Amino acid sequence: MVDVAHGEPVPEEEYVIEIEGLVNTVGSNTILHRDLNLKVRRDEVMSLVGGSGSGKTQLIRVILGLKRPAAGKVRVFGVSWDDPNAKKVRDARRRMGMLFQNGALYSALTVYDNIAFPLRERGGLTEEDIRGIVHTKLAQVELNPSHGKLLPANLSGGMVKRVSLARALALSPDLLILDEPTAGLDPDRSEGFVRLIKRLREDHRFAVVMVTHDLDTLFELTDRVAVLADQRIIACDTLEVVRQMDHKFVQNFFGGDRGRRALQHG
Amino acid sequence: MPSPDATLEIKTIASDAVPVRVRAGGAWTFSGLKAQRSQIEHGLAEIKKQAPQSVAWDLAGMVELDDTGAVWLAEALRDGQRIEARPRHREILRQVSEGMRAPREPVQFDPLAGVVWLGETAADAMVHLRDGIGLLGQLALDVAGMLRRPREFPLLEFSAGIFRAGVTALPVTMLVGFLIGIVLTYLSALQLKRYGADLLVINIVGVGVVRELGPMLASIIAAGRSGSAITAQLGVMRVTEEVEALSVMGISITTRLVLPRVLALAIALPLVSFCTDIAALVGAMLVTKFTLGITPGAFVQALPQAVEVSNFWIGIGKSVAFGFAVAFVACHYGLRVLPNTDSLAVGVTRSVVASITCVIILDAIFAIMLRNVG
Repeated sequence: MVDVAHGEPVPEEEYVIEIEGLVNTVGSNTILHRDLNLKVRRDEVMSLVGGSGSGKTQLIRVILGLKRPAAGKVRVFGVSWDDPNAKKVRDARRRMGMLFQNGALYSALTVYDNIAFPLRERGGLTEEDIRGIVHTKLAQVELNPSHGKLLPANLSGGMVKRVSLARALALSPDLLILDEPTAGLDPDRSEGFVRLIKRLREDHRFAVVMVTHDLDTLFELTDRVAVLADQRIIACDTLEVVRQMDHKFVQNFFGGDRGRRALQHG
Repeated sequence: MPSPDATLEIKTIASDAVPVRVRAGGAWTFSGLKAQRSQIEHGLAEIKKQAPQSVAWDLAGMVELDDTGAVWLAEALRDGQRIEARPRHREILRQVSEGMRAPREPVQFDPLAGVVWLGETAADAMVHLRDGIGLLGQLALDVAGMLRRPREFPLLEFSAGIFRAGVTALPVTMLVGFLIGIVLTYLSALQLKRYGADLLVINIVGVGVVRELGPMLASIIAAGRSGSAITAQLGVMRVTEEVEALSVMGISITTRLVLPRVLALAIALPLVSFCTDIAALVGAMLVTKFTLGITPGAFVQALPQAVEVSNFWIGIGKSVAFGFAVAFVACHYGLRVLPNTDSLAVGVTRSVVASITCVIILDAIFAIMLRNVG
């Protein structure tokens, strides 16, 4: 084969996620987010950090369109989830992949069928094409074709994460959302998982929004960090800039023992 | 800016050492391939007919490549030697080619599959029977233990069980009983009127409702309502490892989960059955008033003579057994649910079917055993 170095394609849009003036409530009238603004670029890994109860998962649910905000604009690939054009919304959804914290694999389906599920639902591919893609995804997440026969109940925690990642990547997404990708994995597997995401990004160039408390993962993968505190995004910048912030949560998060250790290794 | 559609150009230069020149451009993605799908499929099919060494590929013009595009190309590329591509696209193509080479599972016809299925089904039935007997034995031991240490009895679960299976079941069970009472009496009255045996309707409906229909209706509704709820609840507890958590804490699963539910339904069902009897007899009373002209007072007066009190006790006794059976079967299936949603659905369905079957079998046994009573 001959390598050819050419310019990369022109980006379709600069931002994959645009959130403006978001107000998000829990229950009847408890305000969780107030005037929250966030923009995620198409080529970056954005980490979302915040204390427990700060509403990281709720924000992800809003981004995914699983929760309707009380006010504000949320656009993913330039599309608002309440856009009346159902096809536009569906197409935007199919450009996203989500890795849920606990995998959210369909327990009644085998690993193979879990990965094939979004491909079959989208249609337009023969079973032979789907087979090729499923085996490619299995290999990309470092699983063997023989793992395809297993049911989710027979998988270890690390394998569940990898299968879930393979399913999230099945439609070649432009945006991957990771909710605590390394939670529940031992340090070796966490590191392996981070390497895997890095390698996949090099090949497939998708944007990543990641919620994590794991500082090692954060330092290893992140381009920009968004800090969720005081009901809004108080900072959204590179790690170096964010770390210098004079805010109690930021200082505790990055300046604590664990933060310093991760910094030394990172 | 939207990505350009995928393109495929094929040129044949017969005089050249590599006569077929293929140039791919645009976005070879799922959406990019849509517009020219049939032409590209046709073009790739034509290329596949050529020998791999006679095709030169120029993929450098491709601006995007996803898995769909890569799968289509990889099939045509096969062992092609002359391929120009960007490094990133080359890597994607390599990964997809490897994925497509994954060995296939041989599909073999097993002539003994039917026999194997029969054997497995029989073995499965035996396992159910064994586990059922085991659970029953454990339950008996738990009851004996409870009699010695009554303070350990899970009173809260027991009272909650009676409320759920008894009080909340009353409206639907009584409504069904009332309607069945009306239908049964109306049809019987129509037939008996012809022979002038109007008063016999109280005997037929009275015995039928008190001895058979009341307990059966209550049990079948309990199987569908409480039985399925018990199986689903225990099944979800299995899926979320709550059952295992109880075991780890040294708490007996049968004492805490099975015993209160079984006892609650065994006590609640006779009460529900009694209320169903009343509702059905009220329905019967209304119909006899309007079709046969029998006043409610006369109906109530004739009822004790028409229906011996032993029939009532048989009905109540059967309800106790039915309640026990429904809850026991529901618990048995609930504790066998595997940690997946499919198993939960199958468990609940089987539980309801098995408990209704069990009630009917028990009813038949009671009918034979008590044929000379009442």
